[in-house]
Amino acid sequence: MAAAVRKFIEKNGVGMAVFMTLAVTFWIMVLIVLPQLTMVDFSFRFKLPPDAIGGPQDQWTTTNYEYFIKGNPGNSDGWNRVDVTVFTRTLIAAFFVTVFNFIVCYPIAYYMAKVATGGWARMLALSLVVPYWINEILRAFAFRIIFGDAGLINTMLKTLGLITDSIDFIRADIALYAGLGYAYILLMIFPLYSAIESLDRNQVEAARDMGSPWWRIHWRIVMPFAKPGITAGCTMVFMLSAGALAAPQILGGPSSLWFTQIIYQGFFEYFNWQRGAAYAIILLGSCMIIVLSLTKLFGGKMGEIGR
Amino acid sequence: MKSGVGVELEHLWIRFGDFVAVRDASVKIEEGEFFSFLGPSGCGKTTILRTVSGFQDPSEGRVLIGGRDMAGTGPNKRPTALIFQNLALFPLMKVWENIAFSLEVRGVSKAGRRKRADELLDLIALPDQGDKLVDELSGGQRQRVAVARALAAEPQVLLLDEPLSALDLKLRQHMRTELRAIQQRVGLTFIYITHDQGEALTMSDHVAVMREGVIEQVGDGKEIYDDPATSFVASFVGENNAFSGRVTSLNGSHAVVDTEVGALRARIATAARGTLQQDDNAMVFIRPESLDVAADGAAGDHTLSARVVNEEFEGQSYHVFMEAGDGGSPIKMSLTNRGQAHISSIGGALTLAYDPDQAVALPQGALSDQE
Amino acid sequence: MRARILARGLTGLYLLAFFGFLFGPLFIMVVTALNSSSFPRIAPWDCLSFEWFVKLAGDERLQSGLLTSLGVGVAVVMVSVALGLAGALFLTQIRPSLRTAYYTLITAPILIPGVVLGISTLIFWDRTAQLLGFGTDSIFYNGIFLTVAGQSSFISSYCMLVIISRLQRFDTGQIEAALDLGATNTQAFRKILLPFLKPAIISAAVIAFLASFENYNTTVFTISHLHTFTTIISQKVRLGIDPSISAVAFIIIVLTLIGALLYEGMMKRGELKKARALPEGPGAAAVLQGFFKKNPAMIMSVMVVVATIFGIWFAIGHSADQCKADLRAEKLERQRRLEEQYRQTLPAAGAEESGGAPASQGLGAGTFGNVFDPKNLEGQAGVGEEGEPPATEEEEQQ
Repeated sequence: MAAAVRKFIEKNGVGMAVFMTLAVTFWIMVLIVLPQLTMVDFSFRFKLPPDAIGGPQDQWTTTNYEYFIKGNPGNSDGWNRVDVTVFTRTLIAAFFVTVFNFIVCYPIAYYMAKVATGGWARMLALSLVVPYWINEILRAFAFRIIFGDAGLINTMLKTLGLITDSIDFIRADIALYAGLGYAYILLMIFPLYSAIESLDRNQVEAARDMGSPWWRIHWRIVMPFAKPGITAGCTMVFMLSAGALAAPQILGGPSSLWFTQIIYQGFFEYFNWQRGAAYAIILLGSCMIIVLSLTKLFGGKMGEIGR
Repeated sequence: MKSGVGVELEHLWIRFGDFVAVRDASVKIEEGEFFSFLGPSGCGKTTILRTVSGFQDPSEGRVLIGGRDMAGTGPNKRPTALIFQNLALFPLMKVWENIAFSLEVRGVSKAGRRKRADELLDLIALPDQGDKLVDELSGGQRQRVAVARALAAEPQVLLLDEPLSALDLKLRQHMRTELRAIQQRVGLTFIYITHDQGEALTMSDHVAVMREGVIEQVGDGKEIYDDPATSFVASFVGENNAFSGRVTSLNGSHAVVDTEVGALRARIATAARGTLQQDDNAMVFIRPESLDVAADGAAGDHTLSARVVNEEFEGQSYHVFMEAGDGGSPIKMSLTNRGQAHISSIGGALTLAYDPDQAVALPQGALSDQE
Repeated sequence: MRARILARGLTGLYLLAFFGFLFGPLFIMVVTALNSSSFPRIAPWDCLSFEWFVKLAGDERLQSGLLTSLGVGVAVVMVSVALGLAGALFLTQIRPSLRTAYYTLITAPILIPGVVLGISTLIFWDRTAQLLGFGTDSIFYNGIFLTVAGQSSFISSYCMLVIISRLQRFDTGQIEAALDLGATNTQAFRKILLPFLKPAIISAAVIAFLASFENYNTTVFTISHLHTFTTIISQKVRLGIDPSISAVAFIIIVLTLIGALLYEGMMKRGELKKARALPEGPGAAAVLQGFFKKNPAMIMSVMVVVATIFGIWFAIGHSADQCKADLRAEKLERQRRLEEQYRQTLPAAGAEESGGAPASQGLGAGTFGNVFDPKNLEGQAGVGEEGEPPATEEEEQQ
């Protein structure tokens, strides 16, 4: 160990070695690990006035997690109907957003990787990146303009005489799903693209030679090969959709909350940070469990995230 | 410019975990000489070079440069300069900036650096190319820039790690001559690493032949070629016909070995004198050019018979490929073309003769697997 | 053959639909910024107007938010690039057995929902401050500090990924060569590795800034009582939408487009330069000449810049007043006729009934709360047209 440290200092010089060690330690400990651990610890505490913290009342408790399941004691349902429903709905919706995203993005990724060439391919890639750098809020806002009550679609349908009353796309969550799907297109396409790109074109040609129909080529050759990319893309889209806050706040209907909004409310409307922390952990934990088990189910490997 | 200093390796061992890359290597390289390490890839020669330049610490033993123990001296403090296999030129710098890099890190003024770079560009016959980018040069030009960059550091020992391997044959031969000329002009100690025996033999004052981390022989080109110390050296350097068998008689400097082609008499290699005993397993090596067609009726322990398989005419010489008996060891004979008739009897038997002084007997050992 | 043409056609259609989906919303949003209508829409079109930009220019809250965002962005760039660089360098030197674990750890923040990062940052520094005995006026409760900390945790990972992808192509032999030529470790790093990494470091800085600027999920938790550009926009959108937000989008999209095209043009230029340099040797003049040659991105970026300048010049001279007045007069006229009709068909109807009937004529009714209440509209959007009593619209409705 000491030898490794000496070697490290020798290789980088004292200044760089100290900088690197401090920076990496600071990043990992102060910015990543300790905050997460503190949050876990915090989620198992009571909500106390500041002067009671550290006092005899400051003990471990599972109250905040129990609340998620049971709700307020003596509520009529016997369980926390609102929170659990929203939670489940969020995860299911995020799942479908992911699937939808994959279906939409796969052909484009394949086209960019194997069909388009040269400047055209570069131009396509650039066109994908540009919308991604527009503010998330503004992207959601654009969908509000389109799907709003007096938005583009309703106006058009009315002008064409197809409807007389506005369709409430917002209440039906169509705007939300479209906005979420839109928001993470890039995060799906790029891992897919880089995975498909490394596939040897001859494999596809060989399969075609053997008379394989196009869908079988994709199903049996391209997709299995691109599995790491598919895993990475789907993981990112799922995690980020489930954890999205801006799009649901702007595009969500008045009656349909996203789980992050409940967390947000817990923080800023009830000022119950402990419960907020517990909910954040529930969200993070469930997302991780879902991602890991789905990855396992499809036989992929984690740790291939990166762009 | 400083003059060269000697380099000494004393019982050098280098281990990577369980793997022994260099095994008890001891060698003394004189100041101002061109010294080569020759061996197949993975024999530990590059590891030795990296140890001399300071990128690798010895597990045991010492490296002395100019008589000074180099332990604890980093690569940037040693009087050595290394020319990397891929040259490792700095692609973001201009040619002259590359050459003057060692001056830049020493804080020499820009004008001084430029002046020295231009001098060195003249030396390597690339005047007025200083403002180009490295990418704009050809392979041979880059090669020379790498040499100039190393020379600018005013080293006393120049280390070269197969610097010619990326060049095509013709350029390689040209660069050989040029490197040798530069070495003689600047008078530095050159330590050269190569797996190409032609390079090693043509350029070097002395060659060390390595196999699996062990230095098998150190000597000048002629010694290595004519008087190999091990069966590996005999088979690795130049072409050789090998016959293994058992020593049946010893007389002074010669041995008779009973092989598949009969009894063969050969000079005992200098390194094997006194160690090769009666009844030992031994090998006789006969160079293709030492073989000749035997005179009619010749027989005895300096002849052998073989079956002709094929022949190749090359102009100045032609080669006859044979085998000892049916499906036995391959035998090659190279004859200088003096207008004699070809041996046209493919499939026929042929009796060959040789001068026992030009055949070498060695204890049985590993052969090179490259041919 | 026929199948092939069909496949081609389908591919083309799909591409068109996809990029339509990608750019359509942005395009529509941008265009609504130019419509004088107080609800962001493109149909029906009222008047070409730049009043929303004027309104934007007068929005002090947004400007102070912009300033905060810029400050946070600069700080995040400095922290994240430094951490990302250190993290990437460290990755190349770590023992292979630890590498996977380390890599997972430093890329994990990309996957952790921003909300969770925000909350954990908030709680951690709150706890730290209490532990160290600092009050709520200390830096640990400062919104900018917390936001920089929260954003850096995951933006550093982006920077690390950008830098590592270039670092993997680095020939470590160059460092050895530099050391061998007498450079110290620091000199080798500064003169060899850093220049090599420079493009990646610049990319990382740009990405870090943009990511910081547009971040919402983490920032909304950490910024405390302060506001960034994004949180203000978000508040505006949630409180009620008007085309001044489209105007914001307009500006951002134009800037992004110019930036992206310039970047692409520069890349292409570098490539062309290289390609030309190889066979021909030095050709500085040719490079200058060929600045635009075979470089559509460069040409387009210059065109966008020119169009923008022209647009601004045009906007300064343009007034929508006449058009709006015409429009209003037309509406009044239509209203009057409708009322007449109404009176004729229902001569006996009382005055109180006439109030609700033509409601469907309104610009956009109901659901978005009172934003579309005409009174509200005039109050918000009124840029003080002379001789235009605020009650006009209300009169139309009656």
